[in-house]
Amino acid sequence: MSLLSIVVKNLWRRPMRTVLTLAGIAIGISAVIALTTLAWGFEATWVNIYKARGADLVVTRITSRDPLPAPFPATAVADMARLKGVRGAAGVLSDLMSIEDAPTMLVAGWQPNTFIWDHLTLKQGRWLKDDLEKTVLLGEIAAELLHKSAGDRVQIDTEDFLVGGVFSSHALAENGAVLLPLGRLQVLTGRVGMVSFVNLSLDADATPDAIAALRRTIEGGPGRFKVFDANEIGQANIAVQAGKAMSLATSLIAVAIGAVGVMNTVLMSVFERVHEIGILLALGWRRSRIIRMIMLESLLLSLAGGVLGAAVGAAVLQVLQRLPMVHGRLEMSVGVAPLGVALLVSLVLGVLGGVYPAWRGAHMQPTAALRYE
Amino acid sequence: MKSADIQGLPRYAMTVPDALVELRGVERVFDKGAVAALRGVSLTVAAREFVSVMGPSGSGKSTLLHLIGALDTPSAGTVFVQGEDLRAKTDLAAFRARTIGFVFQAFHLLPTLTALENVQVPMFEMPWSRRERRQRAVDLLESVGLGDRLHHVPPTLSGGERQRVAIARSLANGPPLLLADEPTGNLDSEGATLVIDLLCAIHRERGMTVIVVTHDPIVAAAAERTFRMRDGRIVEDPVVAC
Repeated sequence: MSLLSIVVKNLWRRPMRTVLTLAGIAIGISAVIALTTLAWGFEATWVNIYKARGADLVVTRITSRDPLPAPFPATAVADMARLKGVRGAAGVLSDLMSIEDAPTMLVAGWQPNTFIWDHLTLKQGRWLKDDLEKTVLLGEIAAELLHKSAGDRVQIDTEDFLVGGVFSSHALAENGAVLLPLGRLQVLTGRVGMVSFVNLSLDADATPDAIAALRRTIEGGPGRFKVFDANEIGQANIAVQAGKAMSLATSLIAVAIGAVGVMNTVLMSVFERVHEIGILLALGWRRSRIIRMIMLESLLLSLAGGVLGAAVGAAVLQVLQRLPMVHGRLEMSVGVAPLGVALLVSLVLGVLGGVYPAWRGAHMQPTAALRYE
Repeated sequence: MKSADIQGLPRYAMTVPDALVELRGVERVFDKGAVAALRGVSLTVAAREFVSVMGPSGSGKSTLLHLIGALDTPSAGTVFVQGEDLRAKTDLAAFRARTIGFVFQAFHLLPTLTALENVQVPMFEMPWSRRERRQRAVDLLESVGLGDRLHHVPPTLSGGERQRVAIARSLANGPPLLLADEPTGNLDSEGATLVIDLLCAIHRERGMTVIVVTHDPIVAAAAERTFRMRDGRIVEDPVVAC
């Protein structure tokens, strides 16, 4: 017999209460996992877009800090292509538009014959030939959502387009995207000659100092540009930061609620066992052992709830990924970090929930506890 | 033997050799002095003695036992066990674990643990391995005639069997002193007889000091000496059984 076996028996003397507490903790932990995965997945989605394209730097004009920045003249693309250290420059115009009956989708106009096309794999049809043709390429998830194949027609905004082909990308968000020639999207959105991003590919031997100098040159120029690398683009996005802040705040609330739940269960368990704790004290158990027993109950309860919550959270994310609003838009794989956070949160719950009950239990007077009915 | 004076100080106290337990002028009050459970009690119990403490309900018998067992602290006076003032002890839990075996009227077994596990509970404070604890518990339960009840939980045991488990538990760490508070109070006559016989055997074969609190004259008769209490005082010199 061990202290652990005593603890397990204590938890199972009220199985329904233990199960309900586990469920409460699991719900809180699954919420933490889902929220942190969504928030960090939102950031990863943005980051992976540029990593997949091979864009070392992204130039944009952040004025209002919108998720889709204000457009600027496309002449900046050629200007940047001539800068020292730049191997390639590609202009991109992006917008969120409704397409037939589908929910809002990311529609991008890409500059033809640039490096940003290189990472895509054609699954059906053909590549775009002309900067002004009324032809679109659909990411494979976008094609699935729109129920379109190469050769079909699709209505974007009020105009009719030919689906020229279907592609796949390493970046999940691009698989949910609709690609037009840059010139055609400029016409469609009334932004002729404008882009909202410039993707830059740098020389392979570019040193950190050279890259820093290039950034200073661009940012110091007249265009009021801001330069990001793939990792920074997510951090600069106000929506991403808001999402992470909301995730953190909601997770803290979930932790607080979970801790109260654990403390309530453990405290009730201690009050029910006042008499037994008196027996243990009478038999010579040190107060430290009483504390250890009660803290172990709390930690076991929380960790079990945490493991269950991690499983539920992963399952919830699997379901969310299949929703049309989310499918193909967000990176949502449960990584080690969110699971680690969940485990840490479980431990914190166990400690917070058990501290006060353990103190109460250990500081009972033996004679009073023995008399307790 | 001469009777004690009205203050409860036995005249023969100084002549009792090897006192395991000694109380000097012990008082215990509750509710800010409103209730005086013990009023200047002085007594000694020698090592390897079997004594009983008799008295009506409310006479202070259980309070006396709790003070000797370091479950409570006196309001005044001193309690010595093995020659040491209990007030000077910093680790009363260790003292209880190694020095005192308790047997209670209500048995006080842990209901979710088996008989075997209940007997092992006091052993957690001893430096024994899990295997040693288990074997020791098996031996103790067999010695009280419960070798076939090792894996029964208390609700499935009779009153007499539960008290025998409690007695086995009280011997778990080999203490020199056994304190029994109304050990037969919740038992039928057959169970009570078994328990009294066990206590006598423990005293005789293990050489333990046994102090039994009881209002049952049959239990008191098994002891070598009996103290009588009334209203928180020792009212008579110990009656020697034989």
